[in-house]
Amino acid sequence: MKKLGVVSVVIFIAAGLAFGESLDCVSCHAVPETLSAAGQALGKTLSNEEVKKLTVNPGGCPTHMNLDCTDCHASIDRFPHPKETHLANPCVACHRDVADQMNNSVHKDPLGGTSFVLQCWDCHGAHNIYPQNDPRSPMYPYNVSKVCLTCHQQRKYLSGVHGQGVDLAGLTGAATCISCHGHHKIRAVKAVGSRTSRRQISFTCGRCHAKIAQEYRKSVHGAALMANDNPDVPTCVDCHQAHQTANPRNPRFRAESPKLCGKCHADVKLMKKYGLSTQVFQTYVADFHGTTAELFEEVTPDQPLNQAVCYDCHGYHNVYRVHDVGQEKINENLLKHCQRCHPGATTKFLSAWTGHYIPSPTKYPWIYYVRLFYKVAIPSIVGFFLLFIASDVYRSRRRKHGGGGAS
Amino acid sequence: MIRRFSRRHIIGHLVMMVTFLGLVVTGFPQKFPAAGWAKGVVLIFGGVSRMRFVHHLLGTIMALQLVYHLLELLWFQWVRRYPATMIPTLQDAEDFLQQIRYNLGLVSNEPQYDRYSWPEKLEYLSLIWGTLLMVATGIMMLYPIRFAHFVPGQIILAAKAAHGGEATLAFLAIITWHSYFVHLKHLNTSMFTGKLPRELYIEEHPKEFARMWSGDVTKPAEVTTQKFLTFVAVTTIVVIACVAFVVWLRAVPMTLKTVSPY
Repeated sequence: MKKLGVVSVVIFIAAGLAFGESLDCVSCHAVPETLSAAGQALGKTLSNEEVKKLTVNPGGCPTHMNLDCTDCHASIDRFPHPKETHLANPCVACHRDVADQMNNSVHKDPLGGTSFVLQCWDCHGAHNIYPQNDPRSPMYPYNVSKVCLTCHQQRKYLSGVHGQGVDLAGLTGAATCISCHGHHKIRAVKAVGSRTSRRQISFTCGRCHAKIAQEYRKSVHGAALMANDNPDVPTCVDCHQAHQTANPRNPRFRAESPKLCGKCHADVKLMKKYGLSTQVFQTYVADFHGTTAELFEEVTPDQPLNQAVCYDCHGYHNVYRVHDVGQEKINENLLKHCQRCHPGATTKFLSAWTGHYIPSPTKYPWIYYVRLFYKVAIPSIVGFFLLFIASDVYRSRRRKHGGGGAS
Repeated sequence: MIRRFSRRHIIGHLVMMVTFLGLVVTGFPQKFPAAGWAKGVVLIFGGVSRMRFVHHLLGTIMALQLVYHLLELLWFQWVRRYPATMIPTLQDAEDFLQQIRYNLGLVSNEPQYDRYSWPEKLEYLSLIWGTLLMVATGIMMLYPIRFAHFVPGQIILAAKAAHGGEATLAFLAIITWHSYFVHLKHLNTSMFTGKLPRELYIEEHPKEFARMWSGDVTKPAEVTTQKFLTFVAVTTIVVIACVAFVVWLRAVPMTLKTVSPY
């Protein structure tokens, strides 16, 4: 019975061949059973894997319905097939512009040809190429990360706010790999002109977060970057992380934010370059808000922190140089910031925050002199206690051993 | 065994001891937030908010005890006319110098102490002064907005500095001065049992012992109706004033408990 089947297939193929150009590849490649039977006829036993790989669904490629199999598989002109079936990239015959873009990218063919490191079908599929807005396409937002993560070890993207938006919330608007890195013309992350380079990143993020990106570029950080490619100022990803982008409304982001700013602003070497004080972090932690924030961050980072952090006063993306603003405006802004949580605050209340200054005889003298008093009082009083105790011990030991006081 | 302290002394000391130790444990992590041990203590309480609540609660108890003690003084010193044994006198200065000379071996006779020696008076008066200061600065930090209506904001930060400095001083005084005199020199348990062994009484308070032995004990004055009524009136006024003070403290828009993310 089996033999009969094989014979009939061979006859069928022979008949097909006899009809030349109208050879119907799918007569074998559409059905797994016929495919393995054909293999057997040629003396080959195909594994299930191979059969699966060689099976194509002829109706499944809506974008290329007008192409014949041999338009791409040009070398397969006879049966049994010749050995070399993938000599060149067939896609570029039509998609010439894409080939040029690919050769400008990190996935280019090292020899400048069309054997790209990442071939067209690795991302788009081979026989089932759907338009990008079709959920079945591997390049549909929901599927992109699966394709890229096959090679790139950036699974933390999936736990970031964008990855979760795409993967869990099913958003089509949330950023995928290609939203930031581009698609055919992906450049190295730090390459000049790359969409992820320091200079460009705010524009890349700004494609969705337009208002924030504009604010950032006007801020003290963004302006320095735009003016002279400052290598020290933070870009979007320095605070928000490129892949594991945290939701800034999570309690943890607020709790950890002072340390985030402190990473640069407590760095003596870095701040010296710009004549900035590194005491901003420690003076913050020494204050009411900072003390609570510090203990919160270490002990209960996921509890909502109801204390002012750096950005509550300095702004989120629109951070400006304090000295450019002027003392009067600072006080005016500060009072507004204070009143957000302390509705009863008045201008007199403002000096309850030393503005990161360390109290001195001229600035905040009350605090300075109280601290000075205890700096002197504590050692002298405790010193007196210890001296007296020492003399008392001395006396009692002498009495024990020598019997009697002075005589 | 000779009775030295009455039940009200013992209870007063116990309340003070528990609140003081509790305030030390819940207070110092707030003074040294960057220290590792501070975070450990906060974890024991399950978060800084709860630790701070305990601190405020114990502080309130200490403040109430202070008010109670001042009224107690009024009753015992003014109504009953007990001898004011805690007030420093010239004798204390002499005793102090004599003790130093004796300890250095310059003289052979020890100072003869009465009911309270100068180290005890020093500790008691420091405690009263320290508690007044801690309660006052603590209230300023609890209601910064209220106080900033009539003093500059930096006074609140000065109060914070004083609160922390005074706390450090008090803590160090307890582990040096207090520990030496009642734990290390002799293990003196009279503050808990009310009784001191006879030999120790003779050694530490010979003058008072001699007076007691000869039966020379000052009798408290009779309570006159006029003094009693005055005391009741003062107590009523103090209680009303305390309640009014708290109402006044809270009569400003309170600090919001939650902050909107924007």
